[in-house]
Amino acid sequence: MVFLTPIFLTGLLAALIPIAIHLIRREKPPKLMFSTIRFLKKTSKKLILFQHIQQWLLLLLRSVVIILLVLAFARPLVDQSVARLLDANPKSVVIMLDDSMSMRYGTSFEEAKAAALQIIDDLAAGDEVALIKFSTAAGVVRELTTDLDSVRSLINGLDQAGYGATRYMPNLRLADQLLETSRFDNRSVYLISDFQQIAMQGTEEGWKLAPGVAFIGIDVGAESSSNLALTDVRSPQQLLEDAAEQQILIRVRSTGTLYLDSGEITLRIDGQVIDRAPVDLTDRSEEVISFDVTFDTQGTHVGEVRVTGDSFDADNSYFFTVDVLPKIRVLLVNGEASDDWFDDEGYWFGLALSSAAESPFVLEHIEPAALSAASLRQNDVAVLLNVGNLNSSQADAITAYVQSGGSLLLAPGDRVDSEVFNRQFASITPALLQDPGLLSRDDYLVIADFDRRHPILRPLSSDWSARFQGHWSLLPDAAADVLMQFDNAEAALVERAVGDGKVILFASTLDLEWNNLALQGLFLPFVHETLRHLVQSETQQRAYQVGDSFSLDPSGRSDSVTAIGADGTALAFNNDSFVITATRPGLISVTVDDLELSYAVNILPEESNFARTAVASLYDAIINPDTNPNQSSEVRTAQLIEELERPQRLWWWILSLVMLLLLVEAVIANRTYR
Amino acid sequence: MSDSLNFLDPKVLAGLHNLELRARVVVEGFLAGLHKSPHRGFSVEFNDYRHYQRGDDMRHVDWRLYARSGKLYIKQYEDETNVRCMILLDTSASMAYTSGGMSKLDYGITLASALAYFIARQRDAVGLITFDDEIREYLPAKTRQLHLMRILRALSRVQAGQKTDVVKPLTDLASSLKKKSMVILISDMLDDEERIINTLTNLRAMGNDIITFHIMDDAELNFPFNEASEFIDIENNESYITSPAAIRKAYLTNINEFLAYCKKQCQTSGIDYCLMNTREPLDQALSSYITKRSKSF
Repeated sequence: MVFLTPIFLTGLLAALIPIAIHLIRREKPPKLMFSTIRFLKKTSKKLILFQHIQQWLLLLLRSVVIILLVLAFARPLVDQSVARLLDANPKSVVIMLDDSMSMRYGTSFEEAKAAALQIIDDLAAGDEVALIKFSTAAGVVRELTTDLDSVRSLINGLDQAGYGATRYMPNLRLADQLLETSRFDNRSVYLISDFQQIAMQGTEEGWKLAPGVAFIGIDVGAESSSNLALTDVRSPQQLLEDAAEQQILIRVRSTGTLYLDSGEITLRIDGQVIDRAPVDLTDRSEEVISFDVTFDTQGTHVGEVRVTGDSFDADNSYFFTVDVLPKIRVLLVNGEASDDWFDDEGYWFGLALSSAAESPFVLEHIEPAALSAASLRQNDVAVLLNVGNLNSSQADAITAYVQSGGSLLLAPGDRVDSEVFNRQFASITPALLQDPGLLSRDDYLVIADFDRRHPILRPLSSDWSARFQGHWSLLPDAAADVLMQFDNAEAALVERAVGDGKVILFASTLDLEWNNLALQGLFLPFVHETLRHLVQSETQQRAYQVGDSFSLDPSGRSDSVTAIGADGTALAFNNDSFVITATRPGLISVTVDDLELSYAVNILPEESNFARTAVASLYDAIINPDTNPNQSSEVRTAQLIEELERPQRLWWWILSLVMLLLLVEAVIANRTYR
Repeated sequence: MSDSLNFLDPKVLAGLHNLELRARVVVEGFLAGLHKSPHRGFSVEFNDYRHYQRGDDMRHVDWRLYARSGKLYIKQYEDETNVRCMILLDTSASMAYTSGGMSKLDYGITLASALAYFIARQRDAVGLITFDDEIREYLPAKTRQLHLMRILRALSRVQAGQKTDVVKPLTDLASSLKKKSMVILISDMLDDEERIINTLTNLRAMGNDIITFHIMDDAELNFPFNEASEFIDIENNESYITSPAAIRKAYLTNINEFLAYCKKQCQTSGIDYCLMNTREPLDQALSSYITKRSKSF
């Protein structure tokens, strides 16, 4: 029980007034001579006793009424913690506990936990405390609470630090927001960290803690550290079958306060040690080590680069995956074949596919008459270059081929009859051909706009300088996407999904008859990307970093996904989107329907940098110049009184009780003296 | 009549310090209000003549003898009358109690003197006994005017005594009474009322007429106290602390039971009983006496 205006308690002495009156009168009642007292003495003893009881009851009631009135004016509160709040200096404290990977070094995290527990031990009952376990983002967050034991248990339950990178600013902002709900003006942020230099990112933006919020940094970082870090690893992500020997580049640096000049790098592919290489940093601060690897079998290969020779193991491995894909089979139907390469419609296209030493494409070159359903089925994509004399069965075969999942690239030229084309390919063409547009010799069209986010054109965002003197005016289908436009606003490249297949219609030829695109540097990548797009789905990212959230389902249409994490345990995720958040480095094995996939998760390389900063640097960066944590107890008490008394209002009940007692007193007194 | 009765008010009488004057005022005032009282005059036995003296009542002049002798003679009546009246005045300490105005003792003295005056005026023999726990004054019943003055002087000397013991003087009186008499007891009867009534009953059985004037103070009858007090018994100094408001109801019940007992026992025994509140006029007492006197004789 605590009283908000205890000065009124002196009024308790007033409770002695009825007692004093009673005692005084008891000691010196006025003497009254009377003729005889025999009739007084004959009054019933029970009556006398009852009257005495009534009088004592009245005395008690009157004293209690006075006491209750005094208590009501003193405005009592029953919360024990409130009493201590008024006596002490109540605080609101946010403890920020660095949970980043660097805290795994030595006993840093254990020291951080001990420091956090010590902060809580130093708090008084009634103080508020919040906890933020953070690295890149906040992990565990416990909002301000006076239940210190629950926060203490939360800290004791923390096993070890995670693998995230340290970011102070977003978490300091979070701490500041938590303190906005504080009941007290004595507010503090305790940051327990190893104070890596890289954690200071964002402090230059000028953000400050709110005025009045104190900042205390507790440095639990090791005085000295030695570490070899894999600062960068470059590996192929997706290869075609029979690709050339690949090079894996590894960048190694000593990032501890103590310089390490030697170590060893080991490369494992699919669990097998492929190669080893020594690390020699005696005359350089960084070394790049390369391994030559050949991925000669289709499927997903997982690799691990591991460095040894230091005392910090958490950042010693880098994981990667390599998908080896089969070559794309292309059926080229040449509508204007010629022995003269200059007039051959398919010359430039074939040149584009076969120019690389290890072409990812297998090209089958036929004339329109040889086109059949069987030839179509043997290839991943069919390319019709200026083909205008197909019979209906061939057209139907093409339509069926596309409907069943085949891909088709159409590049009509002067041999194509628009009426026949539109009739034969009405169900699959992205656009109907209208009129062939042939410009004068000095006139031409250029590509004026294209969809820069489309997989074909995304890597081809450089200058499109090709000139188009001939083209087909297209009427795009409602279900088609226009990917590219001429400067006369007519469509140049249109895509349409048909059944399980795709069809892309280019409004001009792929030789030099109507344009000079084949002579442009973009021609080869344009052809390659177009064919890849028609055959393959977009390359799915398989490498992530700790803290990233991503979907395990590359198609987004799977019904069943299971995943085994780097620690060998099944991962839990949302069954609708199959999204997980990577919390530790390693390989994640995923089964999507019947498809086996692997994802590589790695740490953020900068977290391996143990270069440190001074606590004062962070203090100077974030402390508000208007901060004055000291506040008078009078102001604090006045604020508390209003806030804490409001839900109780005990004096209302006391006054109600007083009214009731006065009523009882009136009744008893009336019965006693009438 | 109301003006005359004002002189019977105890408050007025309390201002008259001369007891004879006080008695006369009471009696004359009372008689003035009677007018045609059926009790006016009563026969007494003729005894002798004497010469008329100035101041004698002309009605008692024997005109026949005057006609024969030419001299004024006054009829001389027998000294001893057939009414012998003894007034017993309780002078115990409790009689000294007053809650304001006239005390019970003063009231009793006034009443006794008025009765004596009245009785003497009627040519009856009147005597006086004052007592507390013992007989303090004894004057036998006589008819002489001088005796009346003796009685009045005795009454004027009365002081409140000690404890009350009504039985003892009554017993002594019973043994000394040779003839049938009228006994007037003026007392608050704050003694053993059962013994008092028994003694009075014995006196009554001996052929005496008894009138009991029960003198009570108004405070004794109504107990108007409120403040808690220490009540001290006047007679024995015994004290009792109580809250009057708390016990008033019980007290009134007790006192009324006491009064009712006295009244009932007296009536049962043929004893005239008259409760007198010291705040009430004295004519009631005289009226009671006359009524009793006329019935008896």
